[in-house]
Amino acid sequence: MRVAVVGLGALGARAARQLASTPGVTEIVLGEPDVHKRGAVAEVLGPIATNAEWSADDGLPVGVADCDAALLAGPASAHVDQARRLIALRRPFVSTADARTTVQELLDLGEEAARSDVASVVGAAFSPGLSCALVRHGATWFDAVDEVHVAWLGTGGPACAHQHHRNFAGSALEWHDGAWMQRPSGSGRELCWFPDPVGAADCYRGDQCEPLLLQPALDGVRRITARMAGTRRDRMLARLPMLRPPHPEGAVGALRVEIRGRRDGATDTAVLGAMDRPAVAGAAVAALATVWAADGRVNGPGVGGVATQVDALEFLTELARRGIRAAVFEGASQSS
Amino acid sequence: MNNSRFAIMTLVRRALVAIGAAAIVAAVLRLRGSGGVPPRAGGWRELSGPELR
Repeated sequence: MRVAVVGLGALGARAARQLASTPGVTEIVLGEPDVHKRGAVAEVLGPIATNAEWSADDGLPVGVADCDAALLAGPASAHVDQARRLIALRRPFVSTADARTTVQELLDLGEEAARSDVASVVGAAFSPGLSCALVRHGATWFDAVDEVHVAWLGTGGPACAHQHHRNFAGSALEWHDGAWMQRPSGSGRELCWFPDPVGAADCYRGDQCEPLLLQPALDGVRRITARMAGTRRDRMLARLPMLRPPHPEGAVGALRVEIRGRRDGATDTAVLGAMDRPAVAGAAVAALATVWAADGRVNGPGVGGVATQVDALEFLTELARRGIRAAVFEGASQSS
Repeated sequence: MNNSRFAIMTLVRRALVAIGAAAIVAAVLRLRGSGGVPPRAGGWRELSGPELR
């Protein structure tokens, strides 16, 4: 199996390393305009990596047409053009984009991808990505799902930190009773309890992609909301440029998804979560989705999020084998 | 005349102080909120088994 990794930032470089240790992957074509960064990653990965020449015209590495799948892990602003070229080449892609407008544009490529018989995944990282897999898995515990509430804490690399900053400046998209609603980002404070040792954090509405990616996967769901942890400074300065450059990589992050629905004739709630460094967990999700896309194990053809494109149980089982473990909260917040 | 003008100015000044104080209190409440109630029982358990339950 030959795969391409386009963009070698905090997440892309880790995903390349994950792919290098995946059975069946025989070659990784590295795509990155920064020659030094590309060379450094190629050196670490060894002979399995190909230090491919960068085609500035295509925004993709030379030789991507011969790959079984491509992972788009570079700047999200380039993903739509890169995805269009890959669809034209009839190559499946996996995008780690976390900007809502980009994710919407990638989802809009669904018909084009279906016509080219390409099955692809968007929003395959920590949040969105692992969050969507947790929701999809938890939803199978219910006869009917009424509400889903996602909360996210932490950031991966600098690009993720910039997106987190921007998320507080936009408007948050929520699904309410069969219609989309725009609410102000930074509003709707809620104290969310994440898996130990992260614990509690104040979370607010943010311009996140989860509602967009989860709604097609959950028939009859009435509400989908997404929040992210932030400080007063995050909220107050969101509309300004970041005052200082973000860290090369954020600290520990966490996810919490709350699913409310009906099972065995009664209403019930399930709370699932995960705790890890976002770039590490996101890289595992992206790498696994890429292997599945190359292997033809992604639902399709078309374009969708993790919740619609993969079997969540198998996906989480494989992630657990790679050290990314999910947890469930058992206690006072559950009605059963 | 001077007394009535003085009274009006005092009233305006007091109103501005009251509005300012109310704004400060509202801002503090808006930023701090009332907090949440921590879970009193239970905890997180890793999903396990073939069904990941």
